[in-house]
Amino acid sequence: MSMFEGLKFRKISSPIHSLDPRVKFFYVIAMFAAAVMYMEIIPLIALFLIQIPLIIAAKVTRQWIKSMRGATYLAAIIFFTNLLFSYFYPTGESFSYIVEHATAMTLRFVVLVESFSVFFLTTSPDHLGLALENSHVPYEFCFAFTTAVRFVPVLAEEAQTIMDAQKARGLELEKGNFLKRVKNYIPILIPLIVNAIRRSLELAEAMESRAWGATKNRTNLYELKLHRGDYVLTALTVLLIVLAVYVRLYIPIPAVSEILG
Amino acid sequence: MEKQIFKTDRKMPIIEADNLTYTYPGAEKPSIREVSLKIEKGEFVLLTGPSGCGKTTLCRCFNGLIPHFYEGKLRGEIRVAGMNVAEHAIYELAKHVGLVFQNPENQLFALSVEKDVAFGLENLGVPREEIRKRVDWALKVTDIYELRERPPYELSGGQQQRVAIAAVLAMQPEVIVLDEPTSFLDPLGAKKIFEDIYRLNRKLGITIVLVEHRLDLTAKYANRIIIMDEGKIVLDGEPRKILVSEEVHLMGIGIPKVIRLYQFLKQRGKDLGEPPLSSEEIAKKLRERLGR
Ligand SMILES: Nc1ncnc2c1ncn2[C@@H]1O[C@H](COP(=O)(O)OP(=O)(O)OP(=O)(O)O)[C@@H](O)[C@H]1O
Ligand SMILES: [Mg+2]
Repeated sequence: MSMFEGLKFRKISSPIHSLDPRVKFFYVIAMFAAAVMYMEIIPLIALFLIQIPLIIAAKVTRQWIKSMRGATYLAAIIFFTNLLFSYFYPTGESFSYIVEHATAMTLRFVVLVESFSVFFLTTSPDHLGLALENSHVPYEFCFAFTTAVRFVPVLAEEAQTIMDAQKARGLELEKGNFLKRVKNYIPILIPLIVNAIRRSLELAEAMESRAWGATKNRTNLYELKLHRGDYVLTALTVLLIVLAVYVRLYIPIPAVSEILG
Repeated sequence: MEKQIFKTDRKMPIIEADNLTYTYPGAEKPSIREVSLKIEKGEFVLLTGPSGCGKTTLCRCFNGLIPHFYEGKLRGEIRVAGMNVAEHAIYELAKHVGLVFQNPENQLFALSVEKDVAFGLENLGVPREEIRKRVDWALKVTDIYELRERPPYELSGGQQQRVAIAAVLAMQPEVIVLDEPTSFLDPLGAKKIFEDIYRLNRKLGITIVLVEHRLDLTAKYANRIIIMDEGKIVLDGEPRKILVSEEVHLMGIGIPKVIRLYQFLKQRGKDLGEPPLSSEEIAKKLRERLGR
């Protein structure tokens, strides 16, 4: 799944990486809202373009391109579904209008993926867990979240090992019809699940041994503090929303086909 | 830093078990039986015995995992740092006894080393500045300060185990119990860990209980060896005495090579005096003997 590959966080330092995750999340929501407000191509292209400086400042251009490329399949599906829909349920609009509408819907999706990937590419899971904690999400959930992130690579490696071991014993994964193939995965799933259970028991034991649940007023080694950059991004985001609402209400937006003739 | 906590005050038992018998839920027979022992402050105890003899089970009694995490039937009494284990929660005991487990992977949960080392202190609600101080101290003592921002899962097994040790060390316990901490490591990594543990014992006066099969590498650090078999303590005493005893040879314990060499020579009428525990020791004795 290259779209998710592109969402994987890598530790780099940049002005965007050091922003408060809560502020970045606010920015994602704002982008989401702005994108949903418009059905026209021009403002959606503008929303797409204004995020690019952020991506460059965060030094994640390559991963970002990867995630966008991963999203093209879904984008294509959205585009053609929209076209087909207007074909089967004609509303009497012109063909150019229909194409433009489908394009706008697709752009909307692209803008969303773009803002999400800015968020995930520049926010460490640790930071994210901390932000959850500071937003009064119960600590147990935050802990579960960060622990899950920590064990994803471990479990992936384990699954690979089990798969190799079973293949070495003659298990053929790609053989047979659909049902047979699903069945083929049972000898992999069972050891994986058994191991995961054993592992979680050991984890629970280790947590208990390190005073898990000693007090309700847990402290935290790290602290989230708002810095200047955070205020700047907040201000820009608010400005974006105000502008988006204003344009929506007072400025008529021409369709691309009208401009072209 | 807070050295008085670690002041060795011998003669006062830090762990005191009296007739301890424990059966896991659903098990037919007890995994440890009538175990009585006293461990004094500042001791370095090596706990060994054949697989399945109950070493891990006994370790679980030291910090309250038994009877609080594992239910089942516990008879007899065990006191750690003056507290009756059955009457105190695991988190209270955690301030006094740190447990390091076999598999380093399954005892580290955080996404950075320092966060992991801080975990116990965060749980106890220690103020942030104090956590910072203690975490940095523990990282320096275990020589992993440079790794503090790395994710634990990217480290080698030896480094991970060092993080686990730092994590219990940060809580400044009087006792650290390590259950086969090096069985996932290569011999060199293992040797380093043992040296670290020995340093904690010598320099900070922390009482150590080390469960280990490899007596070759560890006998020289211990001032006491306890050998278990089928849930019971069968031998308990000074390494030099225990390792040359009749019984230990009948039990299939991995006797250190230096002891075997010593006994081989003894059978041939060459008594080297006190049994050696390391290759340096026996080399020295042999040199003296040969007059070089
Ligand atoms: N969680 C458990 N539930 C039930 N029985 C257990 C459990 N853990 C251990 N046992 C049993 O208790 C006995 C002692 O096991 P324990 O793990 O304490 O041995 P050990 O000396 O640590 O062995 P090893 O050297 O293999 O680690 C064994 O018979 C084992 O099957
Ligand atoms: Mg064991």
